[in-house]
Amino acid sequence: MHVPSGVRRAFRLPASSGQITRDLEDEVAFHVAMRVQSLERAGLSHDDAIAQAQRKFGDVQDLHDYCVALEVPHMQRAQARERLSSIAQDLRFALRQMRRSPAFALIASLTLALGVGATTAIFSVVNGVVLKPLPFSDPQQLVQLWGIDANGRHLHFADPTFDHLLAENHTLSAAAEYNTGDMSFSTNGTATRVTAAGVSKEFFRVLNVRPELGRSFAPEDQQKGSPMVILISHGLWMRLFGGSESVIGTIIKSGETPITIIGVLPAGKEFPAGTDAWYPREPFGEATSYTAHNWNVIARVKDGVTTEAATRDVSMVLRRLHAAVGDATWTLDGTAIPLRDQIIGSVKVLLLLILGASAVLLLIACANVANLLIARMAVRESEIAVRVAIGAGRGRIAQQLLIETSLLAAVGCLGGMVIAAAGMKMLLVLRPALIPRVGELSLDWRVLVFAVVISAATAVALALVAAWRGTAGDLRAALSQSQRTQGGGGASYRVRGSLVVVQLAMTVVLLIGAGLLARSFVGLMSIDPGFRTHGMVVAGTVFDEPRDTNYIGRRSVYYQQLAERALAIPGVTSVGISDAPPFSNGSSNGEFLVLDNAGIKLAPSALEGMFNDKARTGYATYRTATGGYFKAMGIPVLSGRVFDATDRAGGPEVAVINAALAHKRWPNGDAMGKVIEFGNIDGDLTPMTIVGIVGDTREQDLAADPLPAVYVDFDQRPGNSNEMFVIMAATNEAGAIAAARRAFPQVRADVPMRFLTVEDIIGRSVDSQRFMLLLVGIFGAVALLLATLGVYSVISYLVAQRGREISIRVALGASAPQIVHLVLKQGVTLSLVGAIIGGVAALAATRVLKRLLYQVSPTDPIAFATVLVVLCGVALVASYVPARRAAAFEPMDVLRGG
Amino acid sequence: MPRDASDLLHGTLDVLVLKTLSWGAMHGYAIAEWIERRGGGDLVIVDAALYKALHRLEESGAITSEWGLSDNKRRAKYYSLTTRGRARLRSESETWKRYALAVGRIIESS
Repeated sequence: MHVPSGVRRAFRLPASSGQITRDLEDEVAFHVAMRVQSLERAGLSHDDAIAQAQRKFGDVQDLHDYCVALEVPHMQRAQARERLSSIAQDLRFALRQMRRSPAFALIASLTLALGVGATTAIFSVVNGVVLKPLPFSDPQQLVQLWGIDANGRHLHFADPTFDHLLAENHTLSAAAEYNTGDMSFSTNGTATRVTAAGVSKEFFRVLNVRPELGRSFAPEDQQKGSPMVILISHGLWMRLFGGSESVIGTIIKSGETPITIIGVLPAGKEFPAGTDAWYPREPFGEATSYTAHNWNVIARVKDGVTTEAATRDVSMVLRRLHAAVGDATWTLDGTAIPLRDQIIGSVKVLLLLILGASAVLLLIACANVANLLIARMAVRESEIAVRVAIGAGRGRIAQQLLIETSLLAAVGCLGGMVIAAAGMKMLLVLRPALIPRVGELSLDWRVLVFAVVISAATAVALALVAAWRGTAGDLRAALSQSQRTQGGGGASYRVRGSLVVVQLAMTVVLLIGAGLLARSFVGLMSIDPGFRTHGMVVAGTVFDEPRDTNYIGRRSVYYQQLAERALAIPGVTSVGISDAPPFSNGSSNGEFLVLDNAGIKLAPSALEGMFNDKARTGYATYRTATGGYFKAMGIPVLSGRVFDATDRAGGPEVAVINAALAHKRWPNGDAMGKVIEFGNIDGDLTPMTIVGIVGDTREQDLAADPLPAVYVDFDQRPGNSNEMFVIMAATNEAGAIAAARRAFPQVRADVPMRFLTVEDIIGRSVDSQRFMLLLVGIFGAVALLLATLGVYSVISYLVAQRGREISIRVALGASAPQIVHLVLKQGVTLSLVGAIIGGVAALAATRVLKRLLYQVSPTDPIAFATVLVVLCGVALVASYVPARRAAAFEPMDVLRGG
Repeated sequence: MPRDASDLLHGTLDVLVLKTLSWGAMHGYAIAEWIERRGGGDLVIVDAALYKALHRLEESGAITSEWGLSDNKRRAKYYSLTTRGRARLRSESETWKRYALAVGRIIESS
């Protein structure tokens, strides 16, 4: 029908199918009544007239059905058209409103953009890390397997244990051992350090990954003594070979060993993350001991098998194995953990905490915009009252307000996405290592949907607030009120005040969280780790040489030369060598034996029995070190001596222990001179005599107690790692690194090096705390800024609203300080209420931070008090500005102007 | 005997309604009376069919309706012709006249 919509409204065409029915009934009733009247005039009795009129009318039901079928679709089409045209009209109106007050539009959209951006940036990380599936086919089938020892701790697998599991399980379709470490990788004479994984036969079948170039391992590569072959990552292929296809068949060298590159794996499929190269483990042979816990194991469960079923199966197989071989294995039980949980681990909790903090920020931003909106609604009250008076329904007004807030939210959403993209980049720069799967992060559709959904929710919430305030007043009141009092009055102030209180309370929660984290961070950083942390340079090297009888000798000569070069560098005062970097729990750890004297070298068979005698064993971390290590690290010698030139390879072997081990294992203080045997770590069964006790060091985790440690002589014991670290105490770290980078390759060019400082290494250990502190700190600062704006705008509003009253007070002789005091009282009341509510909420909320805090209680009074004082102070300043303005009122101006 | 309007050829009633309304706005009962009076008692319309025609014509835009008060102060729905309805009446009247002539010629010729 082509009647213009305005005309249709004027004619009040039916708005619902009920209306259609009612109209038709009226029409029919009228018709019948007229007919009855006419028949009665013609002489029929009333009853006869009714009967005849009804007969003459025909089938009323059929008419009704006909009309409904005819008119309902028509009505719906007309309504949809009308709705659309009203939306277009409201959109034009909203745009006009925005143009009319660009400052409001800008501040409101920016505030929303900030909230949406922060939340979206964090969500994009949660999405990439926690929500996205692993980049392997059927990733839910992938599990990490662990043995469990008598203390319930997770154990790596020993070869015989793994072989047994492989043969006996019923739930795994494939399982593989792997182990990563650094490896030197020489092409054309330049050596690089790469992270390489030794993997067993089924490894790539478990992951279901095929090379993008070349071939995977073949059975002939996976025999004991096979020539070495290697698969490289897409990244390494690009980095070292520029993506050239001729890489296949290239022979590289690792130390003296030639290795043939046979394939390139596709990008994004590296496992474990960050691995550059993979080689078959089989050519090196298998260990036969059930206690050589050298291997990580991943597996793929069979179709339809749950992780729980796999755990039960693995557990049963390993318990049976223990029953069969007894104490030869320490693996008493086992478990299967979904690979994703294994990778994400504790980061999930951390990320969800940060997401929660960003959501609080979004709420604060919303409260701020709501506050601005209410102020605007007060101004627009008469406009809306007039619209209602000329026939706009509440629904229509609400629609118009929703369109206005949607427009703000849409701009906020776009801005938020820009902020999110920038924020995500910043997150990645801040802490790539903390976040697993960091390479998979992107602003994908899930993130976009998230941003749009939270923006839409924001728009609806704001529209509800605006509609509630906008349609609250009645026309007469709105029109009769003069401009002086600007509408809403006391009720509006109460609403805005409550919003500010809520905002302040949420800000308090964020700030107290940041305060607790900051205090615990300062606490962590002021812990004395027991060694020098400043002016320390570490050169990480890889010494890939065959472990024959001359291995230790060649190694000693090489590192002695490096140490001499290092000492020649100006500012380097001492140099030490170790097979583990500073701030690590040694290169290994395990149980050692206490022997009666150094004269006997036991046969491996005799050891097994002795390990069962708890009186003869002890637990310690293991590290090879030179005598210079203790001096360079600044670890004090408490008694006896450290290694020196008299300790030679082949001579009596010696060990140094730390105070923690001395106290724990020999509480009577008679550790010196005791003989220990630590051969299950490095394969050297020669007993060692304890010749010195040194100070404790806190390694790996500043907050943890020092572990018992055994140091063995670098020139006597082989160790079990190919990585060696040259530790230099240097007055000028950067200069020492630059000089060493030039000097060290002159000794040997084929040993790859990586330089870093001990501060870097320690800094990494507090990464999660620092990361969390930084983000919560930023959120807290933004929240404080928004809350300050909130207090300022509400108090300014109050001053404007009470201008008349204040002027009268001034006219009656109130002094400027009295007026300031009057206004400040309002600001202080708001901030006190907000601070108290926020403080109580924080008592409940900060408990979730407990795991991240060090020696600071989640209810730390100092953090709470500081935040409350800061908040009240800021609120005071924010109210002082409008208070000054109030005090400067010229009573006559205000009274006359009003 | 009087003929029932449902026997009329399809579309006939529509033309009759349009013609009736060309005299001015009327409610349904008045339209029925008018047609029956003008038809000289030869046309008796089933009321339900009349209302179907009215709603159908309104839907197609030929007529429009408005609630008003009848002579005896009762709420009644008044229908009136639109411009479109007037045009349609003209063209359909022509068609009807030609049709009636043609039918008449055939019947007379025997």
